[in-house]
Amino acid sequence: MKMAQIDKDYFDKLAQTIVDCDKEACVRLVKEGLDKGTDPLEMISQGLGKGIKKVGDDFGTGACFLPELIGAADAMKEGVAILDENIKAQGKTRKSLGRIVIGTVKGDIHDIGKSVVAAVLQANGYDVVDLGIDVPEETFIKAVNEYQADCVAMSSLLTLTIQAMGTVIQKLKDAGVRNKVKVIVGGAPVTQEFADEIGADAYGHDAADAVHKMAILLGRK
Amino acid sequence: MKGFTGKRVGTSFPITDEECKQIHEAAVRVLEKGGMRCDDPRASKLFEKVGCKLENDGKLVKIPENVIQAAFKTCPSQFTIYGRSPKNDYDVVIGNGEIHFASVTGRYLRDIRTGERRKATRKDAIDGARMADALENVHGLYKAVMWLYDEPPIINSQILVGEMMKNSEKGMTWVYNTGAEHEVSDLIRLWEIAAGGKEALKKKPHVLGHVIINPPRVVDVHYTDWMIGFIDAGIPITVYSATIAGATGPATLAGMMVQVIAETLALVVLAQAYKPGHPLCYCSFNTSMDMRTGLWSFGNPEYATIGAGIAKMAGYHGVPCVAFGICDSCDTDQQTAYEKAFTLMNYALAGISLTWTLGGTAGFNFVTWDQMVLDNEVATYLGHYLKGIRVDAERLSEDVIMKVGPLPGSYMREAHTRKWYREEFLIPELSNRDFFETWERSHKELQEKAREKALKILDTYESKVPQEAQKEIDDYLDVVRKRGDVK
Repeated sequence: MKMAQIDKDYFDKLAQTIVDCDKEACVRLVKEGLDKGTDPLEMISQGLGKGIKKVGDDFGTGACFLPELIGAADAMKEGVAILDENIKAQGKTRKSLGRIVIGTVKGDIHDIGKSVVAAVLQANGYDVVDLGIDVPEETFIKAVNEYQADCVAMSSLLTLTIQAMGTVIQKLKDAGVRNKVKVIVGGAPVTQEFADEIGADAYGHDAADAVHKMAILLGRK
Repeated sequence: MKGFTGKRVGTSFPITDEECKQIHEAAVRVLEKGGMRCDDPRASKLFEKVGCKLENDGKLVKIPENVIQAAFKTCPSQFTIYGRSPKNDYDVVIGNGEIHFASVTGRYLRDIRTGERRKATRKDAIDGARMADALENVHGLYKAVMWLYDEPPIINSQILVGEMMKNSEKGMTWVYNTGAEHEVSDLIRLWEIAAGGKEALKKKPHVLGHVIINPPRVVDVHYTDWMIGFIDAGIPITVYSATIAGATGPATLAGMMVQVIAETLALVVLAQAYKPGHPLCYCSFNTSMDMRTGLWSFGNPEYATIGAGIAKMAGYHGVPCVAFGICDSCDTDQQTAYEKAFTLMNYALAGISLTWTLGGTAGFNFVTWDQMVLDNEVATYLGHYLKGIRVDAERLSEDVIMKVGPLPGSYMREAHTRKWYREEFLIPELSNRDFFETWERSHKELQEKAREKALKILDTYESKVPQEAQKEIDDYLDVVRKRGDVK
């Protein structure tokens, strides 16, 4: 019944806003859909989700590149944020592949690698909370609790600052939440050896590897 | 060391004088209106001292044009990075119109004896320094390897520099590495020991120090530490930004020039505020992001083009320019060859004074000594291209042309030929020029020839640094190692 009130190509248009990296259009269409009583879960699965999947596939084949992937992920985030509120208000829950908090560790301001991994994870259906760069250890712990995260992802480009990853893991233990979250680490000086040494669950050598490992970590493969 | 020169050095640029003016003016507007974030109160005070406006509790610095112009008045147009050989034949003048080549580094290397790709160690740093010392077209050293995986992180820089000082007399360069507490003071002490004391280092600095902006538009605390350290020690510096177009800089090359020059100008002002007259140069380390991986890419045409543009802006501002001549290719292969050749040719034609290029591939990730040998050969080729066609009465060769021709005469038996061919032709050491049939019957691959040459150097080359000087360095490394913070 409600479906009759929206255009029959509404979901395609919604998906296209993601492909176009058009944040404003995405927000406008999402609000329009909600006003007309469209199911927010369907708006994600049939609209935004399809858009981000198209961009992810295009990225995979080389039809588009990182600026589009990141732009699409940003637009997706805006739309989903509005829909999440609505879903919550309806007392429903949204299924996601998993929620990941990600950041570049304390003492390190390198942003690019972490942002690329965040965008690629988002494009692959994960909810990603990007804590930014130079993230204090406590902020990771707080974010794990606040967002009920399934996984903590840490990045660093500097050989000395990667040590902070071990400290975060220790603090997760101290806070009694280590068994509730998986930990994945990456960045130029990080190796599998190092990941094992500090007790991380996985190491991703690039963004695609991070997606692959995430699927294993969170039991999707 | 005498670099390569010739009539073609500094003849090709991607921007005109008028465009330099436009870039300069746009950069000045960025500094005047937008300013730089300054994370270090010491730097803020220096900016303020010379007439910059501080906002946001000193954390935002706005730099007016007159302050920039005043800073350039005290910048010398050339300076020397001294070698430490007793004959003074390793000195490299930056800004005298010669092109110099220096080694570059990697975290991993291919073990020349086993062929295995592995992480670098202290022994590799020794090998790298000796290779660079031995090869005639290596005019200076970058870090011999990027990291010593068999030494504690906290004293990695100290051991690395110590081994470089013990195993090569050529000048070197230094970029902030670990950020460890004693890194600045220990390295300066090591350079002083190598130079023969504090005053000797000031008089004949054998290091070029790097002071870098965190783009976009941040003056960083660590690099301010280094700037003060270098300048106090009398070490010339190169000031630059390490911007990646599409990530930390705009996605147009002209936009990159504006941001990078604005950031570089801020460091010129800062350095001259700290010590007017301190020698400095620009540096090209500004490239585009690879849009597939997010990695910074260095083998692409835009990197070399921006580099040539920065060289032109350096000329416009009356200071010299150096550059990183690194590549993307992960191995010793065709891609390495064309990436380096194009980039280096661009740099040379733009008149870049020194470029770090020999030995490294995959950005700063991989280094091989056979690649260093091959790059040494590429440098010979480049040096020859740069000469161009030298035209003078004798080289016009009218007499011999009249004498020999028309056929059946031949130039092969002329004294004129014997006199000139060595200077006018390049006779390469390793490159193949065999008859096809000879080559087809049996030949050694170029890489194998390079490997054999590298092995010969490693097996036979001894450090020329006197034993007592080496011991002094080792003694200081012992002090560093025994310090409480080494785990």
